[in-house]
Amino acid sequence: MNDPVEAGRILSHLAEIEVVAEEILSTRREIIDLDKQRNKTREAMRALQKEKKDNKVWLCTGNMFLKVENSKAVKMLSKDFEVLDAEVSKSRATLKPQVNKLRDLERKDELKGFNLVALTPEERKSVENLI
Amino acid sequence: MAAPTAEKVQEIREVTRIERIGAHSHIRGLGLDDALEARQVSQGMVGQVKARKAAGVILEIIKDGKIAGRGILIAGQPGTGKTAIAMGMAQALGTDTPFTSIAGSEIFSLEMSKTEALTQAFRKSIGVRIKEETEIIEGEIVEVQIDRPATGTGAKVGKLTLKTTEMETIYQLGQKMIESLTKEKAQAGDIVTIDKATGKITKLGRSFTRARDYDAMGAQTKFVQCPEGELQKRKEVVHTVTLHEIDVINSRTQGFLALFSGDTGEIKSEVREQINSKVAEWREEGKAEIVPGVLFIDEVHMLDIECFSFLNRALESDMAPILIMATNRGITRIRGTQYTSPHGIPIDLLDRLVIISTSPYEEKEIKQILRIRCEEEDVEMSDDALTVLTRIGMETSLRYAIQLITASSLVCRKRKGSEVDVEDIKRVYSLFLDESRSTQFLKEYQQEFMFNEMVPDEMETS
Repeated sequence: MNDPVEAGRILSHLAEIEVVAEEILSTRREIIDLDKQRNKTREAMRALQKEKKDNKVWLCTGNMFLKVENSKAVKMLSKDFEVLDAEVSKSRATLKPQVNKLRDLERKDELKGFNLVALTPEERKSVENLI
Repeated sequence: MAAPTAEKVQEIREVTRIERIGAHSHIRGLGLDDALEARQVSQGMVGQVKARKAAGVILEIIKDGKIAGRGILIAGQPGTGKTAIAMGMAQALGTDTPFTSIAGSEIFSLEMSKTEALTQAFRKSIGVRIKEETEIIEGEIVEVQIDRPATGTGAKVGKLTLKTTEMETIYQLGQKMIESLTKEKAQAGDIVTIDKATGKITKLGRSFTRARDYDAMGAQTKFVQCPEGELQKRKEVVHTVTLHEIDVINSRTQGFLALFSGDTGEIKSEVREQINSKVAEWREEGKAEIVPGVLFIDEVHMLDIECFSFLNRALESDMAPILIMATNRGITRIRGTQYTSPHGIPIDLLDRLVIISTSPYEEKEIKQILRIRCEEEDVEMSDDALTVLTRIGMETSLRYAIQLITASSLVCRKRKGSEVDVEDIKRVYSLFLDESRSTQFLKEYQQEFMFNEMVPDEMETS
């Protein structure tokens, strides 16, 4: 540890690990926030569907209140919902390489079966009783 | 009919396994350090440093999944730790790599042909890693609200409020979900998962924050932490199943129950071919990985020439496992022929194997093994007694000495002693004959036994 070169190397290695770990945490946070939004959107859509009459409704988007027609509001929300869904799967996809990178830096073995493609439900039936 | 049986099987799985003390139950691994150097005494292994190191090198190759279809022969005199090394390898491989252990004579069964038994053993040693992926909603129930229609009949509607540590949301419920919720008896404070594709609700337990809701509750009430993160999660589970298990399930006549009853019978080769091609297809699509496992055949000299030629061919298949064999024979006749060969194995098969040899234990090592066994069998033994037992082990065999441990502890307990003493050892030594004393006895009193007129030549039948 007295060797300054060695100490610097260790320090930079630890910093590198910390950066990757931070990235993972922020992606996790992103997924949670997106899911929160997704669920709120879903709730709003359901509430609008229950509204019988096709009159105008107040819609709060971000910091703004809009008065729009019911059908238009539902359309806007469902569009939002789709975008959010795609965003969540995108974030999940980025999470995997990040975790792999962290494990690599920590000199741990790669997770087994991490990169496999999941079986389809039909395919799963043939081995269902085993799993 | 199948459903209740499946539930029963689940129940059995939860019972903790009580292991009896077997001959090799003290083996926990190969006892190697990170540089693959064998420690003198570690993980139940003593001595055999060279053989263990060799086994460790092979183990690393197996773990990498680099080689398949290789054979290893562990050869050595009786009682030199051949089976122990194989067991150590199995322990070190972990649960993910399939390890099948059979004895050479096991394949001679009336119910199936020799090659079928060998094929099944081969396929039990090849794992297929697959992944299942499910979208689930996981959270703690904050509130369930079910509205019954005023008329008493008609569809019920309801609301379910779920939360995690991060968020909370309301779900509108349809008739079906309400039914499964009532069936699961889910109530506020329960942690549940809902499979998004099938709508199946599973109760994981009650939330810790609700632990003080009631004073009395069933013993099976499980408390779990409120889930973290997002509500709608993607769960990925990786399974490793063996080819043999897939064979049995897809072999129409029996169904999966055959897996548990053990009576699998013969499996048609068409079924196997289909499964091979399916697995190959999955591998191509990135849906499966092949995990070549280990097949261990003890007493391999008991196989006959047909089996050996089968092994020759089977090792060349691209889905072959690592084959480890053990034998205690020297140059002997190959079963089913008139030819003799080293280890009783044909030269052409021997040529494909790497051979690890074990050597007899030294006195120091025998003492160490006996000490480990005493610990394993929960026997207290004085140092003098251990020295005497070691001498017995040197002069007779290690196995005989190990057998004396429990016997002498019983004698010790009978005289209400706390520690096995030299006297106890002497007593069991006089009670139980070892192999050479028994032979001596037979030679002396041969005339008084029955059928003693048999000529030695005739006795050798096979």
